[in-house]
Amino acid sequence: MKYLYEKDLRQMKYNILTSTRHDMVVRQIARRLGIGEQKMRMILIRTFDMSLLENLEARYEMGLLHADTDDPVARKLGCELFTDFIPLVAPEAMQSIYEDVRTHIASGTQENSAIDEGLARIREVIR
Amino acid sequence: MKKNVDVSIPLGPVHPCWKEPVRLKCETSGERVLRTEVELGYMKKGIERIMRGRPWQEVMFLAERVCGICSVVHNMVFIEAMEGISGIAVPPRAAYLRVIVNELDRVASHILANFSYCYTIEHETLGMYLLNVRETVLDNLERITGSRINTAYMIPGGVRFDLTEADKAALLADLVKVEADMHRYVRMFETGPLIALRSKGIGIMSRERAIEAHAVGPTARASGLPESDLRLCHPTYQKLGFTPISRTEGDNFARIMIRFQEVFQSIDLIRKCVDRLGEGDSIRGGGFCGAGEITYRGEAPRGELTYYIKSDEYGRILDIAIRTPSIMNIEACAHYMITDATSVADVTSTFISSDPCIACNER
Amino acid sequence: MSILQKIKNTVRSRSIHVAYVDVGSCNGCDIEVLACLAPRYDIEQYGIYVHNNPREADVLLVIGSMTPQWVDKLQDIWEKIPEPKVAIAIGNCPISGCVFNRWHSYIEPPVAKYIPIAAQVPGCPPRPTEILNAILALAPTLFNDYEEKKQK
Repeated sequence: MKYLYEKDLRQMKYNILTSTRHDMVVRQIARRLGIGEQKMRMILIRTFDMSLLENLEARYEMGLLHADTDDPVARKLGCELFTDFIPLVAPEAMQSIYEDVRTHIASGTQENSAIDEGLARIREVIR
Repeated sequence: MKKNVDVSIPLGPVHPCWKEPVRLKCETSGERVLRTEVELGYMKKGIERIMRGRPWQEVMFLAERVCGICSVVHNMVFIEAMEGISGIAVPPRAAYLRVIVNELDRVASHILANFSYCYTIEHETLGMYLLNVRETVLDNLERITGSRINTAYMIPGGVRFDLTEADKAALLADLVKVEADMHRYVRMFETGPLIALRSKGIGIMSRERAIEAHAVGPTARASGLPESDLRLCHPTYQKLGFTPISRTEGDNFARIMIRFQEVFQSIDLIRKCVDRLGEGDSIRGGGFCGAGEITYRGEAPRGELTYYIKSDEYGRILDIAIRTPSIMNIEACAHYMITDATSVADVTSTFISSDPCIACNER
Repeated sequence: MSILQKIKNTVRSRSIHVAYVDVGSCNGCDIEVLACLAPRYDIEQYGIYVHNNPREADVLLVIGSMTPQWVDKLQDIWEKIPEPKVAIAIGNCPISGCVFNRWHSYIEPPVAKYIPIAAQVPGCPPRPTEILNAILALAPTLFNDYEEKKQK
């Protein structure tokens, strides 16, 4: 008899992400980080377990409400959103990205281009 | 897998403690559980996919079968969402009858959750006592609605059956009995020294963590989030003067005690509703279900239940998304309560204390 | 009939171990099986023990409408149960898929395609007394003289 302890869960995880609201949230996250939608789904499926994927939508909603309410730069980067609420990035990596963006802005770079640079680094981290 | 992990212990899908199939993969270092992963997919039926394109008369019964334990509230939230779309008013008597049935269902669900917890920590005597009380509650549910589990009691604009005088008297008499029994069992639970050893200070979730994972229901209220109770926003409950209960410990003991306290609160609510039933004698209004889009929230026994519905002018459901409370609670439980647990034996009891309903979670 | 067989018959009629497995239902039948444990129905007075452990079970209660995750696993659970064994389908779901058997759903009923089902208890959900009745009616007739029937 063949004992089957680990099964390929990708199809089932994909089924979770195709629900109406989950699909919407995945599209929003993908647009925000500048990653293709299918690529984003792949990253989410690889990183998270099934329970977190089911909860993705609620967590994103809470993240929009409660994450980084007092710091506009961190809010645009999604500092707490992508570490605590949706744990895509490790907190240390996010902290260093945030500090770099802060120093860029302090040294005179445009805020938008500095944030774009930060988002590019987030993309590198999660890939 | 990380280097510091000794063994990955799978629990489930068939496990003596669990009523439904779910698989927890606990990564342990010695006896200590470092982190937990949840593997679902054993109950994925695709109810939302079936619902799309069907008339509300069919979706009503499908909505009820999202979860068998709290089927009344799924019925109630779906029907109230359809009423919200089409602007159908509910007569006061029907509104109170809905609350009565909903609270009976909540009592049954909370008692079942606490039974599961007592069974898991091997306090079988108390578990059996609780299960017997639940039968009395279900009797009343059956007497009012005609069915024990899937009741289909509410319809747009009212309810199906009226509460007769004989049923009302039986209901009130049974409530007295249930309340007296529950007082005794709560005292047993509250003062039991071994129960305290197994429950107090185990599986703690802080308020911030509860907000992060969007924990809802008794799980959130045990961590000090009384505003998470959506009965505060419901017009009928507002008329009844509802105030939520909360505790601040956030451990297993608090979660179970919250459910016990809510049982008494629900019994009080039922009595208030029965007093006010005389405000009208019509149990059905009229109206047609029409086109619209709505996001409607209601308080299920396990927490916030959200229905997002889009319908066309014939009352057909074009698009639907259901967010059940178990999604958030199971996730919060697996990733916040069971991290750094002192033993594998606590994993099962902590998991059950968050009242997981896998059928809800996967739909 | 040998004495050994007689002893086995007597013991088996008063000691039936039950495991239940949910293969994708709405949870309603699960809690009706649980309600059988309550002192009102008192399943243990008939010598039926609900363990939810397939390795010591005699009767497997199958609940639910067969989701894809279970297709390979239900067979494994069935093989782990020692002989003599019997499977009972509880509720409409394992028989036909009930309300879930529509277009676009993920389920693959009936359960009888995957393991042999000896009896079916229809209902959505069936009452605890009906479940109890099915186990009590079926188990003794199937387990009676099991060894002698096997030799023939």
